[in-house]
Amino acid sequence: MRWLSPLEPNNRHQSVRNDRFDGVGDWFLETREFREWRGSEGGSDKAVLFGSGNPGVGKTYLR
Amino acid sequence: MIDSLCDQAKKENIAVAGLYCDFLSQQEQTITNILGAILKQLAGRGSIPDYVREAFQEGKAEFGGRGLRLANLMRMLRIAIDSIPQVFICIDALDECLPKCLPELLESLRDIVRESLSTRIFFTGRPHVGDDVRRYFTSVVVIPISPNIDDIRNYLEMRLNRDSEPEAMSNDLRADIVRVILEKISDMCVGLFGISILSMMHTYQQLCADSSLFRSTWTLF
Repeated sequence: MRWLSPLEPNNRHQSVRNDRFDGVGDWFLETREFREWRGSEGGSDKAVLFGSGNPGVGKTYLR
Repeated sequence: MIDSLCDQAKKENIAVAGLYCDFLSQQEQTITNILGAILKQLAGRGSIPDYVREAFQEGKAEFGGRGLRLANLMRMLRIAIDSIPQVFICIDALDECLPKCLPELLESLRDIVRESLSTRIFFTGRPHVGDDVRRYFTSVVVIPISPNIDDIRNYLEMRLNRDSEPEAMSNDLRADIVRVILEKISDMCVGLFGISILSMMHTYQQLCADSSLFRSTWTLF
């Protein structure tokens, strides 16, 4: 499968997961926008969600 | 984000693929490598699927060997996505994607979303990259992400509880640390600066490395 891509996002994901502190960013999962995006059915109307923020605000560390 | 979706994936029949864009490895993050990494996660859950095996054999036979072209990749991605009831694709730090690669990436993902109505995409990025996203996904939903004071307070409490020199800590000092850091952060949040929690934590770590030093320097922080 390495032939498909040399990138290994899983490595980065493990280190993010290790550094993350439980509960941080949970507010995001509670937002109406996130819930609608995750639970919406059919149609590409709500297919894309963009978490917008400046460097260091914790975008990567949302659980 | 990926983990909370994966928790859900264990219960339901969905798949989650994620990717972190990074300035430091831009050269490696070509459009084919990015889409290839997504395909790898969606298709590589069991044994190698036949369509990947065949494409590999065909690629080997071509001049120059392993030339994996975008069209081939997209074809395989479509097959992989069609075989899974719902797919979530998460791409972190879209603004760190190579500029020449970004339009092609967004275009490819737009094609996927158009064809597979159940597919969901989550991007994160600095606000300016939102314009690029909107160009390809006019109905994108934007959630502004800003530091949450409760998160920071909880994090500080955890770090203080794990202080390596608890004997140097007093309740007063502890309260001061929390108060000063939260005050500074509130000031920074209303300013124009993007604040870096990580760099703040680093500063805090350095200061706490020597609590007595911290006493004399905390006003500077």
